[in-house]
Amino acid sequence: MSEDPYAVLGVKSDAPQDEIRKAYRALAKKLHPDLNPGDRQAEEKFKQVSAAYDLVGDADKRGRYDRGEIDASGNERPRERYYRDFQEPGAETHSYSNNEGYADFMDEDVLREMFSRRGGARFRARGQDTLYRLPVDFLEAVNGATKRITMPDGGTLDVVIPAGTKDKQVLRLRGKGGPGLGGGPAGDALVEVEVQPHRFFTRDGDDIRVELPISLPEAVLGAKLDVPTPTGSVRMTVPKGANTGTVLRLKGKGARRSDKSHGDEYVTLKVVLPERPDPELEEFAQRWQAGKDQNPRQHLEA
Amino acid sequence: MISIHEFVIRARVEQHAVETWIAAGWLVPPQTDPEPLFSDVDLARAQLIRDLREDLGVNDEGVAVILHLLDQMHGLRGSMQGLLAEIRGTRTNR
Repeated sequence: MSEDPYAVLGVKSDAPQDEIRKAYRALAKKLHPDLNPGDRQAEEKFKQVSAAYDLVGDADKRGRYDRGEIDASGNERPRERYYRDFQEPGAETHSYSNNEGYADFMDEDVLREMFSRRGGARFRARGQDTLYRLPVDFLEAVNGATKRITMPDGGTLDVVIPAGTKDKQVLRLRGKGGPGLGGGPAGDALVEVEVQPHRFFTRDGDDIRVELPISLPEAVLGAKLDVPTPTGSVRMTVPKGANTGTVLRLKGKGARRSDKSHGDEYVTLKVVLPERPDPELEEFAQRWQAGKDQNPRQHLEA
Repeated sequence: MISIHEFVIRARVEQHAVETWIAAGWLVPPQTDPEPLFSDVDLARAQLIRDLREDLGVNDEGVAVILHLLDQMHGLRGSMQGLLAEIRGTRTNR
């Protein structure tokens, strides 16, 4: 090196020692090859800067240089290989560099695909979980069913819907998700079930609710009626004097629980008068004194 | 493999400093027992640590942060190089 060390460091030749050190540090921080692994020119510039600093960074040596006893040539600092030189492809493997810097990228399909096509010599990671939404009929969810999903790649996936599956429940199909990278295990398919509403059943946890319209004579006199349940209709006794809002329980006719027992079906009765006015009924109501004396709105009075 | 005596001379650092760096996990020589034996990577890394502390005025906390980030960056650079090699391979296959 034959350049003026003061010029290399960007200081005046009469700068105090302190200023020279500061100038060197500022340059070294920018130029140190290990802090600039991608900049091939950094090494040459850093060499010049550190050679200059070796010459004038030390007060004694600087005095000798200023008096012309030594010159700027042949002053390069001996340096073995830089740390970054061991990080190049084909360099011997070692335990320092790590993959934390891109762990979060592995969710990206495009990278995942790239890495998986590499044949997996270096990367090994569990495949991505894939998420599906699966609409399921109300009764299929209660009674159980097998549904087929068509995957984005055209393949199909058979999903067993266990009896008693609830809305928004997520079924995990192990190993049916994205392929693993480099021999890693495949991810899981996560299937979120969307239970569709039913025409007359509603779900209340493991119980089923249904509203059952009954006629006036059935309510007054009692009756044996067929009531729909998720597994078919059953015969139920409506007691004499049943009313709108009366709730009857059909034990064990609800959805299956995880312990294999079943919830119940609750039948709410609703008394329905004839659709068309009936003269006989009108005449009866006219002369029915007890009925007229009843005040069903008592609980609404202030 | 490099012995600790040769290592401190070539890295131009004190032996007790090297021992501290091993204890801090900054240096992970392939062998530590009974005597540490170092690879060329360890030597280059020790020289980097020395530069950081002595020439660049970085304190020990700063060194730990820099090493951690550098290790991540080299991991990223390695992946990026792998990715580029992959892209090149895909292109030539077409």
